[in-house]
Amino acid sequence: MVRFLFEPGLFSNDTVRTALLLGALVSIVSGVVGVFTVLRGQSFAGHALTDVATAGGAGASLAALSPLVGFIGGGVIGAGAMDAIGVQRVKDRDVATGVVLGAATGLSALFLYLITLQTTTTGSTQSILFGSVFTVAPSTVPDVLVLSAVVLAGVTLIRRPLLMSSISPELAAARGVRLRVVGLIFMVMLAAAVGLSAIVIGSILSTALLIGPPASALRVASRLSHALVLACALGVAATWLGVVFAYDSYYWLGSGRGLPVSFFVVADVAAEFVVVSLVAWRRRQRTTALPESLTVPEQVGWV
Amino acid sequence: MIPGKGAITRRRAHVATGLLSAATIVVASLVQASLAGASSPTVIRAVGAENEYANVIAQVGGRYVNVTSIMSNPNTDPHSFEVSTSVAREIASAQLIVQNGVGYDTFMEQLESSSSNSSRKVISVQSLLGLSSEVKNPHLWYEPTTMPLVAQSVEHGLAKIDPAHGAYFERRLTTFDSSFVPLARAISVFRAEFKGVKVATTEPVADYLLKALGLDNVTPFSFQADVMNGVDPSPEDIAFQQKLFTDHIVKLFCYNAQVISPVTTSLRDLAKSSHVPVVAVYETMPVPGYDYQSWMLAEVHALTRAIERHESTTSL
Repeated sequence: MVRFLFEPGLFSNDTVRTALLLGALVSIVSGVVGVFTVLRGQSFAGHALTDVATAGGAGASLAALSPLVGFIGGGVIGAGAMDAIGVQRVKDRDVATGVVLGAATGLSALFLYLITLQTTTTGSTQSILFGSVFTVAPSTVPDVLVLSAVVLAGVTLIRRPLLMSSISPELAAARGVRLRVVGLIFMVMLAAAVGLSAIVIGSILSTALLIGPPASALRVASRLSHALVLACALGVAATWLGVVFAYDSYYWLGSGRGLPVSFFVVADVAAEFVVVSLVAWRRRQRTTALPESLTVPEQVGWV
Repeated sequence: MIPGKGAITRRRAHVATGLLSAATIVVASLVQASLAGASSPTVIRAVGAENEYANVIAQVGGRYVNVTSIMSNPNTDPHSFEVSTSVAREIASAQLIVQNGVGYDTFMEQLESSSSNSSRKVISVQSLLGLSSEVKNPHLWYEPTTMPLVAQSVEHGLAKIDPAHGAYFERRLTTFDSSFVPLARAISVFRAEFKGVKVATTEPVADYLLKALGLDNVTPFSFQADVMNGVDPSPEDIAFQQKLFTDHIVKLFCYNAQVISPVTTSLRDLAKSSHVPVVAVYETMPVPGYDYQSWMLAEVHALTRAIERHESTTSL
């Protein structure tokens, strides 16, 4: 079984080792930020930020900058734009998100076209949209490490007001939390998390890592700490299994070709969600007959 | 001294009449040119899809042909070329076209069929060489036997369009063929000396030349094809390639300077730090300063320097 799962040379391969390290870091950041994103109902905003990150990544490639700079720079600008248009009220949120998303995607189309006209870089569309953790330059690793630490520290610092404003904005406002400031700081953290995960599985797919594992975790967790730990664990499992499967796929087809690692990561995330949802459903059937709508306000107790 | 207002107005009037008469001359000559072009074509309009083919057309056609090339920018990757309307215009008005085929310039066929012209002569190098579309390496111009055949076919085409200058084109074809002798000699000298030397590549661009030179390209084709197609090579292939440098299995690294990705640049850095010389090769002919023959000769010399003196050639 072990020999079946781990094809020869897996652990001595530098590319694979870098991929496992990056995958773990990014999954942890995405897991932590993702739990709050799902709690705040900002999954769509998270997805729109991936489109802004795409434009940033393409712009960076055009200007011969590091893709990480582009992904995160684009994301932060997009977060600012969405906040300016009005991401605070739920009613305006979808509109702001949709407008930014459309504009950013158009910009990506322009940049990706200009790349083919002005640079010798090949396969930009594929690598920016869908990524490959196997092709990340090892020199990017320290940057990812520092940025991950910054995001995690940032979330830790504002965790109390963030959680309160996520679960009950009215309650938070009554207790003197400045919703707008907390919201903006969180959007910037979200943009950074999206940028980091774009490095690993591409900008378009980075929502999968941001939303998938936290959504799964929140289905079964009864406390915030459990949700955070479980989201990180599910994320790391998905990326590591994705890396292993992608490495092994080289031997499956017998054609000397591997399948894209991003596909395996995203497939793992989806499979985890299905399994966890089944577990949650079984558990709910066994314990209580309460309607599902009553389970969400339960999280007010987390504050 | 400051000129008075009257002087300025007068000067303006002079300038205006000057411009007007210049414009009249330009318009008149344009009309004349278009009339002349309509009645008897003195200069044949030709297009080379890649600038190395355009160069061969120009060498054979001389002063009776006006050649443009579609892909000539050394700072772009031809594999990801996007067509613009000016390209469509050039193809619509061309009387002779040389294109590569094998999926390298598929847009040419699309543009030709959208502006059909029965008198237009289209030379596909793929069909000239009798190759199927299943050929994996489309960089046919690196095969040293290709261009003499292309030149011959171009000469036939030009002579048919403009029979009056048939003798002129034939003379220029002879000159072209004899200018190939130094390249052919350099290849056979290289082969005699370095046959079987192992080399690594990023992409199949120069593979036909490397084979003609007797070099042994040990990079897996799956890796080369992945780089060419802009998808990510597998970690196994990357590790194999890295070992070629760190274990000094290869004598040089043939680096396609026009098809670059994070993987190829990190391999180039590894080759440098492992003291494996790097030789830059190109998709399109580096301009200015080269014609097809001198370009190929320069590549052969760069490869020789890499093997004999461990010298890198990072750009031509």
